[in-house]
Formats: sequence, structure tokens, C-alpha cells
Amino acid sequence: MSATLDMLQISPQVDAAEHSPATTVEAVLVRAVLEGDRDGFGKLYGLYAPLVHGILLARVPRAEVDDLVQDIFLHAFKKLHTLRDAAAFGPWIAMIARNRAVDFHRRSRETVEINDDLRGSDTHESRATEILELIRNLPEAYRETLVLRLVEGMTGPEIAARTGLTAASVRVNLHRGMKLLRERLGFMEGL
Amino acid sequence: MNEDYLWDKSGQPDPQIQELEEIMGTLRYQPRPLVIPRNLVVSRRRTYFPLLAIAATVLLALLAAGVWVQVRKSSKSQPQQAKVPPAVQGTTPSPDVAVKDSMPANKPAKKESTVASNVRRRHNTSAIRQREREEAFAVKEQLMLALRVASEKLNLAHRKSQSTTPANQIKNQHRIG
Repeated sequence: MSATLDMLQISPQVDAAEHSPATTVEAVLVRAVLEGDRDGFGKLYGLYAPLVHGILLARVPRAEVDDLVQDIFLHAFKKLHTLRDAAAFGPWIAMIARNRAVDFHRRSRETVEINDDLRGSDTHESRATEILELIRNLPEAYRETLVLRLVEGMTGPEIAARTGLTAASVRVNLHRGMKLLRERLGFMEGL
Repeated sequence: MNEDYLWDKSGQPDPQIQELEEIMGTLRYQPRPLVIPRNLVVSRRRTYFPLLAIAATVLLALLAAGVWVQVRKSSKSQPQQAKVPPAVQGTTPSPDVAVKDSMPANKPAKKESTVASNVRRRHNTSAIRQREREEAFAVKEQLMLALRVASEKLNLAHRKSQSTTPANQIKNQHRIG
């Protein structure tokens, strides 16, 4: 099994669309985990943690994101046997992350994120938090795609392959989202 | 805006997007090891198909058995319904019914009501059925007669109307003209 994984050359930049569903890295890893290989899940975590992080960052307070990422992967580990198509691990865990974000807002009381002045961090990070807040106020369809592109540094095709969205909708979401973001950034000083 | 750069980072870089990437990159995911507790075990894949198939088969068998029992019950209960009139006759003996049932005249009515056998029941039901058949036939005859009369009347009315229509038409034409 490990030889097969080495042959597939696991890297975060792997494009799932280039492989047939039965031989994608995700499919091989999922099958390995179901057969008892716990390390295989660590590799899946390495591949998909940025995606889950980006999805959560677009929806929940930043301070909660890291813990939620861990929770989601532990939940996914327990429920991995319910995943019917092993190659669809990305869209599956993305859906878990979205649902968890909805649950988070349903269960938690209204929270206020700590202001950057209080945090006293560098200007780059405070700017980033401001822009993130602007992105969070954009229509839902654009938030996730923009965060994955600008924060996590994924390309459009990677976003499409990992989330299970079509390349066309990712392209449209990126283009329209960026246009709206530019309009809103026009009101800010600096950029 | 350079769409290619936004899409797959190809082509000429867009300075605004690059600046955004640089700023937003500070929020990027920082790798953390995932600690899976030892007691946490991934569940085995379960296939529910055989269980479902067995459950469906059992359900179908139960349904079929239920239907069969119902049919059996209904077929048994039909003669019992026919048993009711003789019991009533036994309590209030009527000479007409006794004659129609073709029972011996010298037999006491009380004994008739207590003694119940399948032969007698069948006999009674056949007699009732025959009577019903006769009544139905009489009703049918009456209905047929009524239909024939109605049909004749309709024919007559039709003939009358046909014989008057041309004259009326001419009359109307004359009036119009």
C-alpha cells in the first residue's frame, strides 16, 4: 500500500481531476485508512487541512478555526466508513466543514472578535483581518472561493477539484467576488 | 483585472491581487499535527443490502400470509351470515317460512333452531339464493319493459319532430326571405 502511495507522489498540489476516481490519492488513502492504516489519515489531513481551514475562516471567528479543523478531522475519521465514493473525500469533508460552521453559529452565542488594537499585532495581520471581514460580508457563494484563493493560495482548478464544484462556477465566483471586493476596498485607505 | 492570474496564477501578475495575497497570506493555515486518540477507531464499512433484502422478504411473506388468512376468514364467514335467518325463524316460528324451507311439517320448530348442520345451511342458502334470483329476474323483466316503453316513446317523439321539422324550416325561410 505504501508503495502505491509513493507512486502517486502525494503533494498538496495534486489535481484529482487528472486521475480516474479509483486511483486518486484520496481514494487510495481512504481505502488504506478503512483497512486500518491510521497514518494514511494523517496524509489526508495534510492534504485537506488548508481547505477545511479556508472554509471555516470564511464563516466562523478566527480564534475558533484551528480547534474546529481538528474536530472536523476527528469526526471524519470516525465516520469515514460512511463515505461511499472514496475519491470524493474532498467534497465530503468540505460539506462536513460547512455544516460544522452552521452548527457553530446555531449553538454559540453572538461573539465579538477581539479588535486588532487590543491584540496589538502587526499592521499586516490587522489589515488581513479587516479584509477578511469584508470578504465575510460578501454573498455566501463568493466568500469561500475568495478565501481559498487569497488566504490559502489555491488556484481555481485546485479549488474546483477539492471542493467538488465545477471549474466554471469557481471561475465565476472568483471573478465576481473579486470585483465586489475591489469595490468595497475602494472605501478603505491604503489599497 | 488579469483574469488568468486570478484563476490559475498564470500570465502577467495583477499587482492588486498580489498585494492582497501577501496581506491575506498572514492568515494562512499553519500546519498542526493531528492527534488521533488511541481509542478512536474507524468503523468498518457496513453493507446493509443483505439485511434489507432479508427484511423485505420477511415483510412480503408476512403480508402474503395476512392476505391469505383474510381471504380464508371471509370465505368461512359467508355461510355463517346465511345462518342468521334460520335462528331468527326458530325464535319466531312462521308457517310460511317453514313451508318454503321444505322441512317436514310435523317436526317441532324448537328442534329446528337447536339442530344446526351444514346440510341444512346449504339447503337454506340455496333456497334463499333461488328466491333472490327469481326476484332479480322479475325486477330485470320490469326494467326491460320500462326501457322498451321509454324507447318506444322516444321513437315516437323523434318521428313526430322529424315530420314537423321541414315544414318549420320552410316556414322560417319564407319568413326570413
